[in-house]
Amino acid sequence: MIEVQGLTKRYGTNLAIENVTFSVEKGGVVGFLGPNGAGKSTTMRVIAGSLGASSGTAKVAGFDVAENPRAVQAMLGYAPEVPPIYTNMTVRDYVSFAATIKGVGDVAKATDRALDRVGLASVAGKLIDHLSKGYRQRVGLAQALVHDPQVLVLDEPTSGLDPAQRVEIRELIRELAAGERTVILSTHVLGEIEAICNRVVVINHGRIVVDDKINNLAAAGKTVRLELARPSPAAHAALAAVPGVESVELTGSSAVVRSDNDLREQLAAAAVPFGLLELGGRERLEDIYLRLISAQGAA
Amino acid sequence: MKAIVAIARREAAAYFAGPIGWICLVLFALLAGMFFSIMLVGYASQASQMGNMGQDENVTEMLLQGLFGNLSVIALLMMPALTMGLIAADRRERSVELLLTSPVSSAQIVLGKFLGALGFATVMVLTTLYVPVALALMGEPDPGVFYASYGGFVVLMAVFVSIGLFTSSVTENQLVALALGFSINLSVWIMGWLGQMVPAGAVKSVVEHLSMLSHFEQLSKGVVHTNDVVYFVTVIGFFLFATTQRVEALRWR
Ligand SMILES: Nc1ncnc2c1ncn2[C@@H]1O[C@H](COP(=O)(O)OP(=O)(O)O)[C@@H](O)[C@H]1O
Ligand SMILES: [Mg+2]
Repeated sequence: MIEVQGLTKRYGTNLAIENVTFSVEKGGVVGFLGPNGAGKSTTMRVIAGSLGASSGTAKVAGFDVAENPRAVQAMLGYAPEVPPIYTNMTVRDYVSFAATIKGVGDVAKATDRALDRVGLASVAGKLIDHLSKGYRQRVGLAQALVHDPQVLVLDEPTSGLDPAQRVEIRELIRELAAGERTVILSTHVLGEIEAICNRVVVINHGRIVVDDKINNLAAAGKTVRLELARPSPAAHAALAAVPGVESVELTGSSAVVRSDNDLREQLAAAAVPFGLLELGGRERLEDIYLRLISAQGAA
Repeated sequence: MKAIVAIARREAAAYFAGPIGWICLVLFALLAGMFFSIMLVGYASQASQMGNMGQDENVTEMLLQGLFGNLSVIALLMMPALTMGLIAADRRERSVELLLTSPVSSAQIVLGKFLGALGFATVMVLTTLYVPVALALMGEPDPGVFYASYGGFVVLMAVFVSIGLFTSSVTENQLVALALGFSINLSVWIMGWLGQMVPAGAVKSVVEHLSMLSHFEQLSKGVVHTNDVVYFVTVIGFFLFATTQRVEALRWR
């Protein structure tokens, strides 16, 4: 549904993204992950047609965004990081304006549906200026989905929200992602991607670092952390001797063991003589992410 | 087409929702009332001396043209303030991203904003409608003069809106757009005075052709020459085209 091929964008001499390539199948929900300044917004703007790339192509449903932007925009909803709102309009007037310029047939009906969808029906008559940040973010979402697009591109939809609002918006996006709709969602919060997406694309310094299923990614680094009452070189040796272990790092009372497959049972047995206090599960996605980002930074 | 109308309506409504629109509207109406009163008093004292109040056939023409002559200078100063935010504010507030990612062309965006601002400017002009009503009560106004004066003035407003729209597309900074708008308006206007100073010849005719003043004078007299029409259509078309190019360029920053 979305095919991004060799996308490069320069702002003057500043290379924002370089040779970015990935694709999203119909119905896919992809998390676009990376630290600030990685190039997430730049990539998403190109896909949404508000920014031209220096080279490379972005296609949505087979249409090249640069060649046929109107066709793409008619089926794509884009919520930028900063909601593109007019604060002097009421919520309803704004959403109905968005519906009209997006070429919706029944504007009143589409407006009501979008307001319902994002939970804005109760404040429809209010000026956007009087809304809280969380509600403005919802207005930005309402604008993106008022024409019931097949593709949703959401740029950090939960940024700057408090934890409760975050959960609400996350829940909402999960609903929107159900069914045939294709969604790309950027964030620098990993939990969000674990909660919503089935695939993750990690971008750093303008380049794609990882593009994989969440499950594969989490399985890629099998790391077990053990707390020992009596850490010693003998303990290190015992753990390292377990078949399949690649490396053991012993710092203070905790040992981090890396392996290709799940060795928790064997490791526990080996560690008992040294006073096993605690056995931590596999490495969290967050740690994998940090490792990827820093490894690439060093390269 | 629906999109153009929606954008135009949104812009016009935004003027009524914010301070700048109301300030311009009220100020324009007040100044028009003031000019009209002064001119009326002047005319009355002149007429009573000659003893032919209400007899003069050209009273409509004289008063309306005098009024719009003054108001054209007011519009020249006021329109840059009214139009400075048309695109610059959208960029500053990021709302431009809604327009740029909707299935509408840059030309549709520009045309919508132009028509919206021109609609509001027309409302400003319509606040002076009590003038022809008063003139009708005083005597027999010439409807031709009435239509020419109002039509000519709306065309002039369209020129100012197109210039203001362009300056607003050049920068995110509304004050820069304002200053630029003044400068362009003044230069186009001053061309008329230059024309009067330059000795007759080829240069004079070129300068006079570029001058908005001389074309406007013709139009508001009800004299519709092809070359005046061509002049205004060209100027408005030029600035709308240039603005469209600027909006298109926003997509390729
Ligand atoms: N309008 C712009 N002009 C110049 N540089 C920009 C602009 N927008 C983004 N950049 C630069 O491009 C890089 C990528 O930015 P961005 O796509 O916004 O990253 P992210 O959304 O991942 O935080 C950054 O180095 C940023 O400074
Ligand atoms: Mg960003």
